[in-house]
Amino acid sequence: MENNSRRDFLLTGLITAGLVSGCTPKTDPFEAGASDVALPSGKKVKLLSVDGEEIEVDEAFLKPVPHMPPVSNTEARIGIPGKKFVMVIDLSRCKNLKKCQSACNHAHELNPGENWIKVDPMQDAEHTAPYWEPTTCMHCDEPPCVKVCPVDATFKRQDGIVLIDSDRCIGCRFCMAACPYSTRVFNWGEPEIAPAIASQPYSCETSVPQKKGTVGKCDFCADMTRMGELPHCVSACPNGVFAFGDINQDSVSNGAETFRFSDLIKDKGGYRLMEDLGTKPSVYYLPPVSRNFPFESGLENDKEQNK
Amino acid sequence: MKRLYKNFSALLALALVFVGYNTFAQATPKGDLSIAINYFVDNNTVPSLLVRVKTKANGRFQPVEGVTVNLFLDKDSAGTAIGRVTTNRKGEASIFIPVSVKKQWATSVKHTFLATFKGDKKYEEGKADLTVARAKIVLTTADKTITATVLELKDTTWTPVKGVELKIAIKRLGGDLPVNETPTFTTDSTGQASADFKRLGMPGGKSGNLILIAKVEDNELYGNLSVEKTVNWGIKFTPVNTFNNRTLFATRDKAPIWLQLISYSILFAVWGVLVFLVFNLIKIRKIGGQV
Amino acid sequence: MENSITDEKIIADLLPQKFGKAGKIWVGVLTVICLIGLFAYYRQLRYGLIVTAMRDYVSWGIYISNFVFFVAISLVGSLITAIFRLAGVKWGAPLTRIAEIIAVAAIIFASLIIIVDMGSPERFYYLFTHGRIQSPIIWDVIVITTYFFISILLLYYPLLPDIKILLRFKQKSGNGLHKFYNYIGSFWQGTPAQFKLSEKAINILCITIIPVAFTIHTVTSWLFATTYRPGWDSTNFGAYFIAGAFLVGAGAVVVAMYVFRKAYHLEKYITESHFEKMGRVVVLLSLLYLYFNMNEFLTPFFKMKKSEEGYLNGLFSGDFSVVFWFAILIGIIIPVIILLFRQGRKPLPMFIVGIMVIVGAWFKRYLIVTPTLLNPFLPMHDVPASYHHYFPSWEEWAITMGSLAGTLLIITILARIFPIIPIQETLTEQHEKAI
Repeated sequence: MENNSRRDFLLTGLITAGLVSGCTPKTDPFEAGASDVALPSGKKVKLLSVDGEEIEVDEAFLKPVPHMPPVSNTEARIGIPGKKFVMVIDLSRCKNLKKCQSACNHAHELNPGENWIKVDPMQDAEHTAPYWEPTTCMHCDEPPCVKVCPVDATFKRQDGIVLIDSDRCIGCRFCMAACPYSTRVFNWGEPEIAPAIASQPYSCETSVPQKKGTVGKCDFCADMTRMGELPHCVSACPNGVFAFGDINQDSVSNGAETFRFSDLIKDKGGYRLMEDLGTKPSVYYLPPVSRNFPFESGLENDKEQNK
Repeated sequence: MKRLYKNFSALLALALVFVGYNTFAQATPKGDLSIAINYFVDNNTVPSLLVRVKTKANGRFQPVEGVTVNLFLDKDSAGTAIGRVTTNRKGEASIFIPVSVKKQWATSVKHTFLATFKGDKKYEEGKADLTVARAKIVLTTADKTITATVLELKDTTWTPVKGVELKIAIKRLGGDLPVNETPTFTTDSTGQASADFKRLGMPGGKSGNLILIAKVEDNELYGNLSVEKTVNWGIKFTPVNTFNNRTLFATRDKAPIWLQLISYSILFAVWGVLVFLVFNLIKIRKIGGQV
Repeated sequence: MENSITDEKIIADLLPQKFGKAGKIWVGVLTVICLIGLFAYYRQLRYGLIVTAMRDYVSWGIYISNFVFFVAISLVGSLITAIFRLAGVKWGAPLTRIAEIIAVAAIIFASLIIIVDMGSPERFYYLFTHGRIQSPIIWDVIVITTYFFISILLLYYPLLPDIKILLRFKQKSGNGLHKFYNYIGSFWQGTPAQFKLSEKAINILCITIIPVAFTIHTVTSWLFATTYRPGWDSTNFGAYFIAGAFLVGAGAVVVAMYVFRKAYHLEKYITESHFEKMGRVVVLLSLLYLYFNMNEFLTPFFKMKKSEEGYLNGLFSGDFSVVFWFAILIGIIIPVIILLFRQGRKPLPMFIVGIMVIVGAWFKRYLIVTPTLLNPFLPMHDVPASYHHYFPSWEEWAITMGSLAGTLLIITILARIFPIIPIQETLTEQHEKAI
């Protein structure tokens, strides 16, 4: 219910086509802007046009959609066709503000002390310069965690997102041992969440509410991406560290700026973490060169959690 | 005696009210809300409003959820009511302009939107207004050049506007990719701004189509306007979908054949032996029964 | 005539005996420990795994160590029974039942402890309804079930002739037990046809159990070796685990031999020569395990890869060094030194060596699980301070101790119900000797 109202208040690109020609749009998953394509619901709404005319618009073409049907478990497991989500994290812009972390924790109603996004102080060798490295789930294309799951509780979708179904997870924690990025967390006890949130129907795309005895991790905000919006960490970062997009569209955006993905990676020397393991992550890093902030500026903020 | 008692009790009541009011006021000083109205028109069709409500807490502005705001067109009256909205978790609420204010809408090319909040236990009352003029963008393309024209409705004619800042971009997930290195364009005296399309080789789906978008953002006079146009300037691109491949990380129904073959043959061989041994036991049992 | 007297004597010696005072105290103590473990598990079910000291980094703790330990011990059934039998080692015959009983008890608790480790045990059946054949856990589930079933058969088949003997002593066994014997083995008449079928079945079982036993522990090692973690990412792991398993299993048999010999006065049946020979076996297995340990630690130490540096230093000279060297010395090297001497292969020193091997092996399993998890690739950061360390909570200890006590309890009960030394086999052997 929250999610529906969160979406941008915009009419989709198709509204013109739908209104003018009145034809039924074909949903071609590989068509540009396919995520915005909605099938007409048949329910018409009368609205006032900018010219002062009365026009009828199909509900399905309106954003926010008054009542978007909740995504079924089967749909959530398959993912959005034609998409391949990718994230770029620019290390030269990070000063450990942790806005990403608090936005993520808030959106996913995480337990106190539990973080899906961690910002690690890294120093690769004695004489190399330290830098801040935010880590999310890498959403690997050959995910070691999914390989070992005994019950299909964690799975790889066609849009590249690796999700967890907390209604399936048996809590064996093999995936946590298998993940080389230590990205997975476990709900060791009953999660401390408000009753209003605990009673929400669970969806693997929102990952809310968390459940006792199951594994959790960054879900690339699958509910947001389904609506064509940026994940919470991306929009929360004031320094534009995170950029998110669709590699099939060759673009990533941090909300304020949008880059051509291939150019960005080429120009700034993008790389992925632990390439030698063959996990093929979907998260790319830009090296901490020509930094916006000195490393020390992030130290103050690090004291709180890491005494 | 009776009168004295009456007076006394009145005094007491007054004192109680006073004390109660004081303590209440001290415990929860009412917060001030900052309300903002934004006006949107997409593809020159239906206009809509987005209300953002924030409050200052701990030194910075934070969105406020659950605030109910009444919206009016031009004046606060029953006939010009646009509707009532309640903010979500992001402190936002949105609404389309309903047909009921058609008459008022027709009276002018410029309108003022009013937002009023009556106040509640936690926040003082608040209001906001926004005045916008009706405008539209016309997007034309020719030979990899994109021209956007901004027109304002003056009386009954659409006239070009000079000096409006706008963006011309390719529509992408989560953000729009500028068509070249220039981030924003400004309209000239003919109301036009032109951009060369420099993003060659952009993947444009199966048919190579890209959606161009021209938008005016947060303009003082016109609000937010955007218009889209589909062009065939991308390259045809069909992603390879490996989702249904049989891999070690696929779902249980997509386990690799070699793995299934090996594991199930071992399983059946061993359990075949075990079943045989159980039958063997039954045989021994039968022999025992016969003797 | 002389023979039959000996027969009666043998039977009288080997029949299961009622618990004496010591036996009753033993059972009582074990039951209490089990109940404490159950209470701890109740708390864990109620509050979740939060009652343990495991957290996001050390996501597997002593439950998993204990699981590996149980699987390791259970392998002994295949060693003593199957390998000895196929290799024509005759002296091992009196030890087969002890080995099988240990194997069955250990495998039961191996499967229980893995359920205890689960965060959502009420979904256990998902392993069967939603099982993914790609996951090593499913391989483990399959192979543990198979091994349990084989072990039961291997315990049951050779029992049949003994049950016929047991049925003759209704007075001694009491009504209930007599009924039970009757139920499970009254059909055994000892006819040549039955013997022939049974003999064939035992041979088939002995051949089948060896690859299954190897698989069960290899697959268990793969739960670790299929990950990238330093210390687990090893091609040596299967063989390393199996060598260790045979050692701890042999140690467990030695301890059981000593205890049963004392408790049931079986000096005539479990002789010093048995200890002497088991001693040689333990030396061989210790050296084998030492060899695999060198493979496991020397080559990574030589290279000192960055990702393994913290882990290796932690073991050799850091936080875990005391436990590590304790496990190597007490669990492998000192036993070898003791057992190289003839005096060291006498029952009492053998018993002590057996205990050392078992204790060393338990801590070795702890070292296999925990240090690796405390040395992830990315630094441990943005987590509460308690996540950086691991020391098991009382609930974990109670459950672990409870499971160990439970294993001993099952062994004790099985030894109470069935003859700890196969009677019929001993008789046959005696007759063969007489001829």
